[in-house]
Amino acid sequence: MLQKREKVLLLRTFQGRTLRIVREHYLRPSVPCHSPLCPQPAACRNDGKLLSAEVTHYVIPDWKVVQDYLEILEFPELQGVIFMQTACQAVQHQRGWRQYNKLRNLLRDARHDCVLFANEFQQHCYVPREKGESMEKWQTRSIYNAAVWYYHHCLDRMPIVMVTEDEEAVQQYGSETEGVFVISFKNYLDNFWPDLKAAHELCDSILQSRRERESENQESHGKEYPEHLPLEVLEAGIKSGRYIQGTLNVNKHRAQIEAFVRLQGASSKDSGLVSDILIHGMKARNRSIHGDVVVVELLPKNEWKGRTAALCENESEDKALGDAPSEPMPTGRVVGILQKNWRDYVVTFPSKEEIQCQGRNAQKVLATPWDYRIPKIRISTQQAEALQDFRVVVRIDSWESTSVYPNGHFVRVLGRIGDLEGEIATILVENSISVIPFSEAQMCKMPVNTPENPWKVSPQEEQVRKDLRSTHLVFSIDPKGCEDVDDALSVRTLNNGNLELGVHIADVTHFVAPNSYIDIEARTRATTYYLADRRYDMLPSILSADLCSLLGGVDRYAVSVMWELDKSSYEIQKVWYGRTIIRSAYKLCYEAAQELLEGNFSVVDDIPEFKDMDLESRQAKLEELVWALGKLTDIARHVRAKRDCCGALELEGVEVRIQLDEKKNIHDLIPKQPLEVHETVAECMILANHWVAKKIWESFPHQALLRQHPPPHQEFFSELRECAKAKGFFIDTRSNKTLADSLDKANDPNDPVVNRLLRSMATQAMSNALYFSTGSCAEEEFHHYGLALDKYTHFTSPIRRYSDIVVHRLLMAAISKDKEMEITENLFSNKDLEELCRHINNRNRAAQHSQKQSTELFQCTYFKDKGPEMEERCIADGVIYSIRTNGVLVFIPRFGIKGAAYLKNKDGLVISCGPDSRSEWKPGSLHRFQNKITSTTTGGESTTLQLFDHVTVRISVQALRCHSDTIRLEIISNKPYVTPNTERPQQSSIVLKSELVKEVTRSVEEAQLAQEVRAKALQEECEEYCQTKGRSLYTLLEEIRDLALLDVSDSCGA
Amino acid sequence: MAGLELLSDQGYRIDGRRAGELRKIQARMGVFAQADGSAYIEQGNTKALAVVYGPHEIRGSRSRALPDRALVNCQYSSATFSTGERKRRPHGDRKSCEMGLQLRQTFEAAILTQLHPRSQIDIYVQVLQADGGTYAACVNAATLAVMDAGIPMRDFVCACSAGFVDGTALADLSHVEEAAGGPQLALALLPASGQIALLEMDARLHEDHLEQVLEAAAQAARDVHTLLDRVVRQHVREASILLGD
Repeated sequence: MLQKREKVLLLRTFQGRTLRIVREHYLRPSVPCHSPLCPQPAACRNDGKLLSAEVTHYVIPDWKVVQDYLEILEFPELQGVIFMQTACQAVQHQRGWRQYNKLRNLLRDARHDCVLFANEFQQHCYVPREKGESMEKWQTRSIYNAAVWYYHHCLDRMPIVMVTEDEEAVQQYGSETEGVFVISFKNYLDNFWPDLKAAHELCDSILQSRRERESENQESHGKEYPEHLPLEVLEAGIKSGRYIQGTLNVNKHRAQIEAFVRLQGASSKDSGLVSDILIHGMKARNRSIHGDVVVVELLPKNEWKGRTAALCENESEDKALGDAPSEPMPTGRVVGILQKNWRDYVVTFPSKEEIQCQGRNAQKVLATPWDYRIPKIRISTQQAEALQDFRVVVRIDSWESTSVYPNGHFVRVLGRIGDLEGEIATILVENSISVIPFSEAQMCKMPVNTPENPWKVSPQEEQVRKDLRSTHLVFSIDPKGCEDVDDALSVRTLNNGNLELGVHIADVTHFVAPNSYIDIEARTRATTYYLADRRYDMLPSILSADLCSLLGGVDRYAVSVMWELDKSSYEIQKVWYGRTIIRSAYKLCYEAAQELLEGNFSVVDDIPEFKDMDLESRQAKLEELVWALGKLTDIARHVRAKRDCCGALELEGVEVRIQLDEKKNIHDLIPKQPLEVHETVAECMILANHWVAKKIWESFPHQALLRQHPPPHQEFFSELRECAKAKGFFIDTRSNKTLADSLDKANDPNDPVVNRLLRSMATQAMSNALYFSTGSCAEEEFHHYGLALDKYTHFTSPIRRYSDIVVHRLLMAAISKDKEMEITENLFSNKDLEELCRHINNRNRAAQHSQKQSTELFQCTYFKDKGPEMEERCIADGVIYSIRTNGVLVFIPRFGIKGAAYLKNKDGLVISCGPDSRSEWKPGSLHRFQNKITSTTTGGESTTLQLFDHVTVRISVQALRCHSDTIRLEIISNKPYVTPNTERPQQSSIVLKSELVKEVTRSVEEAQLAQEVRAKALQEECEEYCQTKGRSLYTLLEEIRDLALLDVSDSCGA
Repeated sequence: MAGLELLSDQGYRIDGRRAGELRKIQARMGVFAQADGSAYIEQGNTKALAVVYGPHEIRGSRSRALPDRALVNCQYSSATFSTGERKRRPHGDRKSCEMGLQLRQTFEAAILTQLHPRSQIDIYVQVLQADGGTYAACVNAATLAVMDAGIPMRDFVCACSAGFVDGTALADLSHVEEAAGGPQLALALLPASGQIALLEMDARLHEDHLEQVLEAAAQAARDVHTLLDRVVRQHVREASILLGD
């Protein structure tokens, strides 16, 4: 039975009166103790997470320790941690939701060995607060009391260590109970974890930064920033429309001056604002950091400012750019922060000379974050000198209104500056990607498939699954050398003459049970990360490359979608979804499939499946396969045509091409004109995705995971229209179809680059495709703009995307629902699914960014290593695609690089091209017009550059200590670049990327040749990379479409 | 963002109850000798006193008399000291009028009014301490008082409130939980037949969740019934001992 107690609280009201509040407090005889040593597990009802049985002691942190050292308690090495409810509440009330949520996630995470004990609801653990006892003392006392109870509850079998920061408590309780030790946290780390160096370092750095903060609070000199308004005022202000809520977005290229607040939700409609709000200067930004959700007050109209149109470099912070900014836009200042989005930041400590310049206080060092958008962070450390050549991870602790910069503490070292591994690690941390190798606990749950112990289809599964092994001709079409095949196709004629088309997807959910270790890990990773030279798998390779992969000639589980099509019109008449067993007969590559399709049978010898057959059966089999391929192509054409006439557009097919040119890492894979068979496979996958989307939405209207692509904002197209006008084209952007049509027409026969540039601009104007939960969106918003489908989802690549795993589970549940069986899969509720979608979208964005950044890293390394003898390689032809006040933006088709080239340098000299078209820097002035820019020297010579002019640029790399290296472009002639050797560029432009990656990897190898093992590992990575390229083309197309829909505005250099 | 965590991950509410658990209920019948029937109830820290007079002749204008059944007259008031801040609450303000009407509706459904045509039954309820669920406490107190007065009823009327937080229905909300602003549903149930005497909710709640919340409230009302039943039997036992049977 519950026992009732009363708690009396005295609160002070806003008016200053005291309010007496009486609250009930119920105690119960038993609360879950989550210990495997529990003598009465039934009474305690220990469901869910249990503490590990293999620990030598339990550790109970005091409230202060939880508040201040939570980061250390997050170390997976620390096991057997019991968080007392009192401590958790102290975090919740005094540290805010951010930290409390961190604690909650920690407790929820099955990988961490920690539990919560609700001591305040246990009748023997609860101690009422005595009169005159301070809150702090009471919290410590109640935690200690609970620790003692817990010790006796486990029948004195497990020693308990309570760690506290309170010296008095150590003395008072230290020797009170045998078996319950009370020691300080530092002491605990020293005695129990002497080898856990990272924890010690972190502890020191936290301690130091706290001390600093305390001493600073006492000093408290003049305020640098106005105080934030209290939350109630902010909320009331947002409601009344006086303030506006939005996410702060710092301009990467002018991080000190410009930031924009993107409006959120309803507030934009109410205030009638269409554009973002400009936040000008650090003062107005008022301590908010990129990504924070802030509350903004608009300034009066006469204080509005315009955004700068001039190109500018980050280091030159002089605002004397001279030219007037563009028209004023709404400008505001931050009055409060609703949600801080601080994460781990990679920083570089200043070099020795710079430290001396900073002088004054040698212990406090201003570290420069790798990300331009983050302000410098003040770190108190004694190791600054030792760390100056390294990339270092730090966290921000606080930002007081009295301090110009935020305070932070040092967490760990990543690697040397300029070292490839260190830089890759930097990219991973900056995108919050954590890719520790799969743990043993996760791997031991995996099935095995070794020659001694081969994996077999189990008889139970054989009964419940539809067996297609003997009835269907299943084959897969993938790029050469692909290992992870997640889709296969089949087509056959039914008895009634109709056709049956089947899409078979690897059944990953059979191996990955919901909420198993591997599932949780996959969910956190959300996707496989592909960097330029390596990849980080979402699932362990036993699944991704073996048991789930639909390889040729072996039995595999699959989830299939099969349509019955009318024999002549190819109308879909019936559809069947379900689990199957298949055996893929052929593992074709695209080129071979295309050859077969065109009736060229010479490739037959390359197909391994045909090798051992005698001539006759070979002929028969071949005919069967060719018929299937032909039929498949027919069907795909039909489906495509139907989508087209429904108002669908061929945007994505075209965009693939653009993005291919920009993302050269796939350049060598796909020729400019993709083979028809590529499209055939892609079309089948889109069809499967579409039908599965319909199915799961019908069965679960409020909790299905779909993918939407909202139509773009018309105003984003204005730059595209302007540009096209310069060349005399008209772009109609009213709907997706008109856009595609007018883009097709906008083709300059003399210069194919124009069309590509226009298309890439159109791509930039579009928004991202996103996953969402159907319960949180109106049905009209489900539409997919790019594919012109009313419902779409991702179903076909469960090996490398978690969203597909969720969709598979939904589909399975939908099937059992149809059969009126009990739904065994525990599905996500709408709210959880929404949360999950946000996470997956977030991770996808991180994956795209990291891929882009790693490509840039390789590009830079490539150009950096070029000595003067290779100079000519760094000179290339570029096309101007945008004009700014002091320079132009240039696209280099050969390398797929976009960047800024200045026409006016820091000394105020302008570029001028003589009669031999060589450029020189001379004093003069610049004039910018709608679509051209003219530089006039004092001597009267003038040079004019127009949109889409071809110029010759020199590519160089600017090495930066604190940030990633950047590529510099310099116009050296206003004439197109004539290649001395006409043969090379075409060839090199095709294989360049892989060559580039290999070359860079090789040079790294050479540098590390001393460590031979290391070099070997890299070799393996290189091989792995080759395999990475072998992903199925469809997945590539999918990825590229995602890339195409990515907001690439920050890559355009201004 | 801000605000209290009403339901922790471990399934505890702020005061230590689990989602379906009621607050402690204590009740006594026959607290005033003067009245025909009276009762006092404590549901957690919500304390209410109910007094019943009647059935008697219609007081005041005779035109109010109903030819076929008794008139049920309910009045609700709350003490100045019932909440944290002392505040005078004059009679006849909107809140107490509304509460009076709700009580009247509830009891017209429960009392067999057709047995006493042309007469009147008065129910006066006063809340001495308000800590959430005042309507429920009033109904439960009034039920006991009506029984104490010996007025025939169809069944007990048992009331309980329920709320909805993070996908879970909470039974018997306390003041803190009510103040958090989530949806709150008040239900008066005739437990034996499962009929609903009154159902009230004035916040937005998705249709899909209504059933879940309703079931939680109904279960809580049935639990209340078990407790009240015990109180009534205890009272009858005491009374019969006094009568000397």
